[in-house]
Amino acid sequence: MATKRKVAKRSKSTKKPNASPKASARRAVSIATSSQRTVKERVAAAAEAPLAVCENEKDLQAMLNVLRNKDEPAKVRLAALQSLQAASFSVLAFEPCRGEYIATLRKVAEDPDPELRQRVLGLLAREKDGFAQKKLLEGLRNPGKALLPPEKALQLLSYDVHAEAYSAARDIVKKPPSEIARREALRLLAADASAAPLFEKLLRDKNELREIRQISASALHALKPEKLQETARKILLDKSDYDDIKATSLTALTQFGDDEALGKDKALLKSVDRLSAGEAPAKYKQSARRFLSKYGR
Amino acid sequence: MRNVAIASTQSEPQFAALVDATAADPDRREQLTELLREDHPLYAGRGAAAIVRMRGWILLAMARTGVSDAALIFVLEELDTGTDAYLVAATARALRSYPRPNAALAPFVMRALANIRYRDEPVSFESYGEYAVSSTGTTPVRELLATLAWLGPYAQGALQELESLRAQVGGRSRKLRKDVDRAMQAIRGADQTDESNTQACCRAPPDGVSNPSFRGLKSRCGFAPIDSIVFEDHKGELITFKEFFQGQPSIVVFFYTRCGNPMKCSLTVTKLARIQKLLEAQGLADQVRTAAITYDPAFDLPERLRVYGQDRGVRMDAQHRMLRATDDNDTLRKHFELGVNFVESLVNRHRIELYILDAEGRTAASFERIHWDEQQVVTRTIEVLKE
Amino acid sequence: MDVELQINNSSSPDARFVTWTPSPCRIRVTNPSGATSPTVSVKIAGVSAAGGGAVVFRSGTAGAFSSSVPLTVPVNGTSVPFFVAGKFGQPSVNDGDIKIEARVGATSVGSVQVMVRIRKNANTLATGERNRFVSAFAQLNNQGLGRFADFRDMHTNVSSPQAHGAPGFLPWHRAYLLDLERELQAIDPSVALPYWRFDQPAPNLFKPDFLGVSDALGTVQFGATNPLQFWKTDGVQGINRRPFFNTAAAPGGLRNETQTLALGTQYAAFRTLEGNPHGSAHTSFGGSISSIPTAAKDPLFFLLHCNVDRLWAKWQRKNGRFNPAQAASYDNSGGNPIGHNLPDTMWPWNGVTGAPRPPTAPGGAMAASPCVSAPGPQPRVQNTLDYQGGVSAISRLGFDYDDVQF
Repeated sequence: MATKRKVAKRSKSTKKPNASPKASARRAVSIATSSQRTVKERVAAAAEAPLAVCENEKDLQAMLNVLRNKDEPAKVRLAALQSLQAASFSVLAFEPCRGEYIATLRKVAEDPDPELRQRVLGLLAREKDGFAQKKLLEGLRNPGKALLPPEKALQLLSYDVHAEAYSAARDIVKKPPSEIARREALRLLAADASAAPLFEKLLRDKNELREIRQISASALHALKPEKLQETARKILLDKSDYDDIKATSLTALTQFGDDEALGKDKALLKSVDRLSAGEAPAKYKQSARRFLSKYGR
Repeated sequence: MRNVAIASTQSEPQFAALVDATAADPDRREQLTELLREDHPLYAGRGAAAIVRMRGWILLAMARTGVSDAALIFVLEELDTGTDAYLVAATARALRSYPRPNAALAPFVMRALANIRYRDEPVSFESYGEYAVSSTGTTPVRELLATLAWLGPYAQGALQELESLRAQVGGRSRKLRKDVDRAMQAIRGADQTDESNTQACCRAPPDGVSNPSFRGLKSRCGFAPIDSIVFEDHKGELITFKEFFQGQPSIVVFFYTRCGNPMKCSLTVTKLARIQKLLEAQGLADQVRTAAITYDPAFDLPERLRVYGQDRGVRMDAQHRMLRATDDNDTLRKHFELGVNFVESLVNRHRIELYILDAEGRTAASFERIHWDEQQVVTRTIEVLKE
Repeated sequence: MDVELQINNSSSPDARFVTWTPSPCRIRVTNPSGATSPTVSVKIAGVSAAGGGAVVFRSGTAGAFSSSVPLTVPVNGTSVPFFVAGKFGQPSVNDGDIKIEARVGATSVGSVQVMVRIRKNANTLATGERNRFVSAFAQLNNQGLGRFADFRDMHTNVSSPQAHGAPGFLPWHRAYLLDLERELQAIDPSVALPYWRFDQPAPNLFKPDFLGVSDALGTVQFGATNPLQFWKTDGVQGINRRPFFNTAAAPGGLRNETQTLALGTQYAAFRTLEGNPHGSAHTSFGGSISSIPTAAKDPLFFLLHCNVDRLWAKWQRKNGRFNPAQAASYDNSGGNPIGHNLPDTMWPWNGVTGAPRPPTAPGGAMAASPCVSAPGPQPRVQNTLDYQGGVSAISRLGFDYDDVQF
């Protein structure tokens, strides 16, 4: 009931009966950009503004101004950003708006609000924007200048394999400021041909978290596919290795393995049989049984 | 590379200062062209974004000093297949300093406009490496429209598309409308009977423009060091250069699967597939071999090569292969003088390049930088076949 | 006596999939032994497995459906047509969970197993349905080496004008989803693309065994047995997705279904859903799905768009907007860019490259279906409207939504 009433209230504030979508959107912009309205009203209105942003230069400018303005409440600025972003999906309609939009995103990339920084840098990074890449790399080399934590910077740099992030990623793997930064650095390095020996080592290391070993498995598939099958098999045969990495290895073999070779591998089938009957969680045992039924046992 | 000895360890600001100094010296400014070669050592070890900044700065310098006939091909290349806003904008500006505007340039400008219009963004030419954070300056679309205005009557063919552009977005952007109107006025406005215009119009453009990408090589180099290079193909079969490339003429393109510009590698390999079909249609598929060789052999393993080719309709069999060099990639690079550079093992920039090899495996001709016409390639190959 | 039943006018087991839309079928006697007259009375009915789907029948192209249909079939082998459709509200859960059986009297003379294969709400899929979908999708991706790369390459900045910001937005994405779904069905024919109903809570979607749980960084985590853990695009493993909402609830700020369907009765008004809820759904997250050039890297993208398509289907049904010849069904006013006019073929399936189309056309022609012939290898915008074949039976595309009846 409460939800329905909220929807009705939003409808009332932004829509006149039988108003066209364009007219409603224009009205939504005027509410979203009005400092006389409450934050809640403005945020709700921003959600209905994308159409107006594309169609009308003044409405675009008004929303960009809200995004740029550090004195505006953060929630309203984020809502304006989301509205502009939604409008940008209508590429043809957004064509004349894009230049101003990108310029504004770059300006806000160094905003004091961390959430805004993260969002706009993410948007720019997905466009492979040189400005964003430069700032993120600078932050990795010089943490005092960092706009985002290193793990986030690495994640965003991974959108562009040409972003020159490999050496920074290697440094972080050697001297990780945090586990999560190390993880993201490894994910990025998974496309670096010279990193194959590192991933072989990580995959076999039982002290590593499953996630790191799984990233390693995937990296090896890209860089040295024959190694992955060999290592996944060794893991499954190793009685002392953990069930979760066995389950990951099994999933890899079931989905992507060489059917003919797997069907003939008696030792492997025996190990999987053991997994299906042992103390592993039910899901892993089911996975083992699926593997066995696929290969005729 | 020969005259401008710059180490890749130079910082970008040092590089920018060097470019400025070279441009300012009338005796040295021709060397700027040499700096645009992708394989220049100054690009080694740099990321792709750095390359963009550096090349853009060179082009802006050329915009001040003038674009020579030798440099024109680099300008046309960027207009033909460029996707980076800063580079396209700098290139459009540079073209306006070419001494001979002519009708052959207009299609390149229009192509660039089509490539970049939905990715328009503000760029800054104020200082090296600066990115625009306001929209008061210029953009690639503005620069391209200004270049169309500069071309004036030579850009007659662009009028219809400009009218369409105006109709689609002119109503929502005053700035764009003004720029389009200015270009259209310049195109329509010059006196068509003016003799100097007619002369300029009808004078043949320099060779680099009529068929900008083709290079027929007069002397064919020996190939001894390359004979024994071992390739692995899309099926994992090993074959040497000599075994595959001698005995019949061949058509070779270079590419890599991680290329981020669909107008370069993806289109190159797609067009190779079309060349294969033309060869088949003319009964030549067994007389001419084709190969796509990756710049990135460490990452482009056989399965990846196979899938990439398959997804683009490439015929793959004993005569037609996707290849990676298993060793001695440097020798391969030097032999073909490949237009490519790397940051570690990853390509940071490359040109489009297609080579026609004769039955001895020697390079007989090449098509570089600008996208080649498939039939033209086949025609040239037949000439080599008939030798 | 034996009979052969052909579903979708095909004897191939690959064609034994139906939707709410009537499928043309045939029955013929293949072994007349025991026949005592030139024709035989056959009753065709469906037998549902427990918890399975159900079908209904009719003998012609019009009229009511019923749970069985009596037919008079010549014993000389001449085939007799009839129609079968899924019983609305009772889709299959597993492949072949319905037996269509022909009986002469009490004797069964022939049967086939069929599936009522329907696009469902992803949040309420049965475990088996979910696992099959996830497995097929992971195989299509094949750790970055599968056919999925083409689908990723179809949705980039370079190609975006073909599909966004103009009337062809809905038709293009309908064709895109259809192509993907058919590729999934080539891996596992029991799979249909589910939809993410973004105006309602969908907590089951964002779980380790389905589309994953995002950590604080926005890296999606999968369970050890989920093959999506190997998902790779652009050479990089993993999915970046950071919800800006509690995934136990629905995202805020989106137009709900009622509001979306009320946007207008003319297509020009309805298609403004591209901004909200479509654009708003995309931007309810940080990460790949929130930008055009990277959105298709996240499998959730396809479930999001499946819901957008479902909304279009619902609007079509509500307003009777299936016929391209009817002006209100589409916005074909002059000035639409290429690819957005009714008679235009759509990139990339048309294979056309070079301005005004993108430079390459990944993926080739539209995938074929063993069940239907539409939309053909190079679909036009107009071929996407009559997806149920209500205007012209030959136009049916072979999919239906669980809550949009024929």
